[in-house]
Amino acid sequence: MPAIETSALTKRYGEDVLAVSDLDLTVESGEIFGFLGPNGAGKSTTINVLLDFVRPTSGTATVLGHDTRDEAERIRERIGVLPEGATVYERLTAREHLEWVIETKDAADTPDEILERVDLLEDADRKAGGYSKGMCQRLGLGMALVGDPDLLILDEPSSGLDPTGIQDMRELLREEAASGTTVFFSSHILSEVEAVCDRVGIMNEGELVALDTIESLRDASAGTATIDVELAAVPDSLDVGSIDGVQQVTVEENVVTATCADTSVKVDVVCHLDERATVTDVLSADTSLEQLFNRYTGESTETDESASQEVIA
Amino acid sequence: MNVVSVAKRDFLDVRRAKLVWAPALLYVLFMLLFFWGQSNSAEPEFYWVLWNLAGLGGALVIPLVALVAAYLSIAGERESGSIKYQLSLPVSRTDVVFGKLLARSAVVTIALLAAFAVGIVAAWVLVPDMSLEYGEYAAFTGLTLLYALAYVCIAVGISAATASRSRAMAGAIGFFFVFNLVWNFLPVGPVRMVEFVLERAGIDYTETLLEFVFSLSPTGAYLNGMGLVFPEDFGPLHAAGAGTGVGDPFYVQDWFMLVILLGWVVLPLALGRWRLERADLG
Repeated sequence: MPAIETSALTKRYGEDVLAVSDLDLTVESGEIFGFLGPNGAGKSTTINVLLDFVRPTSGTATVLGHDTRDEAERIRERIGVLPEGATVYERLTAREHLEWVIETKDAADTPDEILERVDLLEDADRKAGGYSKGMCQRLGLGMALVGDPDLLILDEPSSGLDPTGIQDMRELLREEAASGTTVFFSSHILSEVEAVCDRVGIMNEGELVALDTIESLRDASAGTATIDVELAAVPDSLDVGSIDGVQQVTVEENVVTATCADTSVKVDVVCHLDERATVTDVLSADTSLEQLFNRYTGESTETDESASQEVIA
Repeated sequence: MNVVSVAKRDFLDVRRAKLVWAPALLYVLFMLLFFWGQSNSAEPEFYWVLWNLAGLGGALVIPLVALVAAYLSIAGERESGSIKYQLSLPVSRTDVVFGKLLARSAVVTIALLAAFAVGIVAAWVLVPDMSLEYGEYAAFTGLTLLYALAYVCIAVGISAATASRSRAMAGAIGFFFVFNLVWNFLPVGPVRMVEFVLERAGIDYTETLLEFVFSLSPTGAYLNGMGLVFPEDFGPLHAAGAGTGVGDPFYVQDWFMLVILLGWVVLPLALGRWRLERADLG
């Protein structure tokens, strides 16, 4: 039985906004699944449907074999949730939050052991209104862990966390997965997902544009490379697209960017341009997973700072 | 019992909000004022204290106590998103509505019982030679609590039906304006409208029908239900239209005022629950 299964899931807001469009998604039991996409891609809406916060316009979704519309409470007994954009109760302490969750879920945990796991023990008896964003996020994660859930659904779990916090959270997710818990989490930052996930699904504009293991995505991205060539002046006719193996060309100011089917084509591009104009600089980059993600989601690679870059000339 | 888990957490939370207790303090102040007023009178009369407390307290402060205690109960959590933590637990939306109702009713009941306890002490201290009618005082407390409960249900209902603090506040103020000030106190209320329409249409009507229209708001039912508290011979009661006679139709009898108040308990909750069940909590 899959942990999560949606079929032809569609959610419209009013007439104009199509938040999720015809989504078929299966998350298997026991895996760590990363749900990726830029803000507004439909990730949160999908998660909200899974939790019965939002009702689908059409299509169905099941969680742990239960229909989200008809058996929401059965589902909630067995899952842990870190919702996005939710604030904790500012007049309650972390310990009171956990006592409440433990009692409601009828779980055997003690507040202290959970607080210890999310590193909040020292602040356990302070009111949550005085917590930092990261502390609230850790408290939320702690509440999600209560009752040893079969499935963790985490919406943007690393938001508000500092690098150490993100590291700790990854560690927690790995521990949970090792103990047999299915983990489903969303993020708009690829590197987070890359580090822990077995499989990823990439959403863009309400649709699932890619669904694969991290390895396969890496293989798919390994083949291509891009090169930026800066020219003193751009002549009228460049005709870079006519070179064998060049997939895409853009010209911005004095920089010609070409996406090549493999690395050897880059040399052809430089030679081709050198015959027609004065080359002042060359910058070459292998396509990273990040760029692949950006290509799927239609975001420019210009803003991509983390791509590995090597300077040729 | 998921309703209880919602209520316990909410009570723990809301009892720490100081604003919730402020209107009850206002009620206590009015109460002290009325007792003090009688202490200056040559013949202090306990019923006058209750009568003033029903009028001013009932009209303005009791709704305020209940609305302030409950109008944000659900809409506030929707705006802040904390309702997502609540509903991630094995709890239904209906559990949330009834849990909130329990917690906020508890807050209002505690506040008002404390206020009435202060009233007894105030009577002993301020007007020692006035005779306290404990039976009537208890009946008055009971009727006032039912009235307050109706307003808590209205506030929770409005809160369940709205998605943000500002809309919940607009709803609460709007309700208070229409079903309190306009309905029972301003000269252009529904009673006058019905009278006007019936007269224009040339339809016969009785005063009891107009009395019934007046009683349809929670405040009208509370005021006209005072016949249950005061003795038959208390003068102002009849002047105000409450405490109707034996021959009157059932719908203006004192006991029917309790039915109307119960209606105000059930109806807003049902509507609010219905709206919340269908809402997208995005």
